[in-house]
Amino acid sequence: MSNNRKIIWQYPWGYAESFIIAITLLILGFAINYIGKSTVSAIQLPVNLYMGIAIIILLLLFYFLFKKKPFVKWLSGTPAAISAICFYTFLVLLMGFIPQGLPKASGFIHEIGLSDIVSSHTFLFAQIYFLVILGMVTLRRSFPLKGKNIGFFLNHFGLWLTLFSASIGAGDLQRVTLTANKTDAVFYGVDQNGKIIPDLSIAIQLKEFNIEEYPPKAFIIDDKSGSILNKELFYLKKGNKGEIMDREVEVTEFYKYGVYMSNKFHPVYDIGAAPAAYVITKNKKTNKVNEGWISCGSFRYPGKFLELSDGMLLVMADPEPKKYSSKVKIYTSSGDAFETTIEVNKPVTVDGWKIYQLDYNHKMGKWSDISILELVKDPWISVVYFGIFMLIAGALYMFWIGNKK
Amino acid sequence: MYLNFNNTAFITIVLWIIGSLFILCDQKIKNGRLIGNLFTIIGTLVIIVFVIILWIEIERPPLRTLGETRLWYAVFLPIVGILTFIRWQYKWFLFYSLGLAILFLAINISNPENFDKTLMPALQSPWFVPHVIVYMLSYALLGVSSAVSAWGLYLIKFKTFKPELLNKADNLVYMGFSLLTLGLLFGALWAKEAWGHYWTWDPKETWALLTWLCYLLYIHYRYKHKQKIITALWILALSFIVLLICWVGINYLAVSGNSVHTYSD
Ligand code: HEM
Repeated sequence: MSNNRKIIWQYPWGYAESFIIAITLLILGFAINYIGKSTVSAIQLPVNLYMGIAIIILLLLFYFLFKKKPFVKWLSGTPAAISAICFYTFLVLLMGFIPQGLPKASGFIHEIGLSDIVSSHTFLFAQIYFLVILGMVTLRRSFPLKGKNIGFFLNHFGLWLTLFSASIGAGDLQRVTLTANKTDAVFYGVDQNGKIIPDLSIAIQLKEFNIEEYPPKAFIIDDKSGSILNKELFYLKKGNKGEIMDREVEVTEFYKYGVYMSNKFHPVYDIGAAPAAYVITKNKKTNKVNEGWISCGSFRYPGKFLELSDGMLLVMADPEPKKYSSKVKIYTSSGDAFETTIEVNKPVTVDGWKIYQLDYNHKMGKWSDISILELVKDPWISVVYFGIFMLIAGALYMFWIGNKK
Repeated sequence: MYLNFNNTAFITIVLWIIGSLFILCDQKIKNGRLIGNLFTIIGTLVIIVFVIILWIEIERPPLRTLGETRLWYAVFLPIVGILTFIRWQYKWFLFYSLGLAILFLAINISNPENFDKTLMPALQSPWFVPHVIVYMLSYALLGVSSAVSAWGLYLIKFKTFKPELLNKADNLVYMGFSLLTLGLLFGALWAKEAWGHYWTWDPKETWALLTWLCYLLYIHYRYKHKQKIITALWILALSFIVLLICWVGINYLAVSGNSVHTYSD
C-alpha cells in the first residue's frame, strides 16, 4: 500500500503480512482440529474470570509498553483489522453453507472442524486474532479520549466487551429443562446433553396450565390422500360466513368445549372436551347443501368431519395456541415459597435462575398435566448487556452523524 | 372486514407513476416538482393507511410472511426515496425506489395472500415490531446504496464516474449499517427474553451476521482507501448479494432447518 514496493515482513506491515498471518492461523486451526481430534472446551468460573482479567492486563501492558513499536502500530491499523474481519467473515460464511452441529457428522469436513465451527480451534484463533486487533485499535484511539471519538469508542469497545465477555462466559451458561407436574415439587432437571442435574436449589410444582387459543380453522381435505385442498382461510366462530372452494360456508353454532352425545354436540366443560362447530355448506355450482357437526377431537374424544361431494371432507384443524402459561409454586433454597405465573416471553427470575415457559404435553393440549420449563443461569449476562447497550448507543450515534466529519 | 389490497395497491401505483411523470418533466411544467412530490407522498400515505388498517384487522403486526414484509418495503422504499430526493435532488434515486416498491406491490397482487391471524406465542413480544422494522428500514437504505454501486460500476465503464456519488452512498451505508446493528442487537435481547440465549447461530442469525460483516468491511475499507473506488464499489455490490441471500435466499439453503426465522408463504 506504499508507493515504492517494499520487501515483505519489513515494517510497516500491510495487507500482505496481515493476510499471511490470518491464513496461517486458519490453516493451523484446521490442522490442530484434524490432528487433535478435539474441540475447544469452554472454561468456567472462576478460571475464566482470572483469565479474563489477566488478558485485559496483558493487552493494556502490551499496548502501553510497546505503543511506539511498529508491531503495535500494525496491530491497531486498518490492514490488520480488515484481515481479522475477513478471517471471521470466512468462517461465518462456511457456517452459512455447512449445516452445523449435526449429531452424525463425519468425513474430512468434520475432521478439520467444519461441522461444528464454533467449537473448533480455527474459530478460537479467529476470535483471539479479532479481539486482540480490536482491543489494540480501541486503546490507540481512546487514549486520550477526545469528544469526537465517542462514537468510535462506543462501537469498538462495545463490540470488544460484548464478544469478549460472551466468549469467556460461554462455559458458565447453564440451561436445564425441568418438567413440572401437579403431584409434587420437582427439584432436578436435564441439561442440554441429556445429563441429569440432581439439585437445582429450587423446586417447582405446577398448579395450573393454561392455553389461550385462536379460533380453529376449517379445511377441505381429500378423503383418500388427506391433503389440504383449499387455499382460503376460514375461522370457525359462531356466525362466521365465507367461501371455501366455491362453497358458501356458515357456522351456525360453535362450542369451545363440546362433547358428542346422541347425535349432536353439547356444550360441556369436561377434561378432553374439544371445540365443535355446526356448519352449513352450499355448493355454488350444484346448489347442493351439506350440513353437520365438525370437531377436531382431542386425546379423549374422536374428531368429526363433514362429508362433501367428490370425495372431499370438511374438517376442523386443531386450534393453534395464542399463548400458554403455567401457574406454579416455587420453593427456594432459603425456605421461601410463592406462587407465580410463567408465560412464553415472560420469564421469571428466582435465585439466579431465569425460568422460561418452554413446552407442554402436545397430545393433551390445553389439558396438559405437565409443563416443561427451562431454567437458565448466565452469570455474565450483565457484562454482555453492558457491551450491547454501548453498541446500541454507538449505532444511534452513527445513524445520527452519518459519515460526516 | 374486507380489505381490498389490489385496489389500494393500484391507486398507489397510479399516484406514484403520475408523480414520477411530473418530476421527470419538471422543466416543462410549472411547479412540476412540487406537484410530483405531492403525488408520490399521497400515494405513499395511501399504502401506509392500508398497512395500519390491516394491522388492526388481523390483530397482529403484519410482519410474518414474505408477502407482508414486501408490503413494508413498499412503504419504506418510497419514504427513503422521497426523503433523499428532497435532500439531494437525485431523480434516479427516487425512480429506483419507486420502481422497486411498485415491483413489490405487483408481486403481492399476483400472489394474493390470506391474512392469517395466528402468530406463534414466541413471536408475541414487544421486541417483534422494532426488530423487524429496523431491519426493513436498513435493507431499504442498503438497497439504495447498492443501486449506487451498480450505477457506479456502470458509469466507470464509460469513464463518467464522479467520486461524490460514492460519498453519498457512504452516508446511506452508515445509516443502513447502524440500523442493521440495531436489528441484530434487538434480536439478541429478544431471544434472551424469549428463549434464554441471545445468540444460537440459527441460519438466519448466521447470515445476518455475515451481511453485517460485509458492510463492516466496506466501511473500514472506504475509511482507509478513499481513492480505491472500484474495489469499494465491488464490495458494496457483493454485500448486497449477501443481504439478499439473508433476506430471501435463506429459505432455499440446505442449512435452513425449522428456524423461527423462516417465513411462511
Ligand atoms: C460495531 C462495529 C464497528 C463499527 C460501527 C465501526 C465503525 C468504524 C468507523 C465509523 C470508523 C472510522 C473512524 C472514525 O469514524 O473515527 C472505524 C475505524 C476503524 N475501525 Fe471500526 N467499526 C467497528 C468494528 C471494528 C472492528 C471489529 C475492527 C477490527 C477488528 C475495527 C477496526 C477499525 C480500525 C483499525 C479503524 C481505523 C482507526 C484509525 O485508523 O484511526 N472496527 N470503525
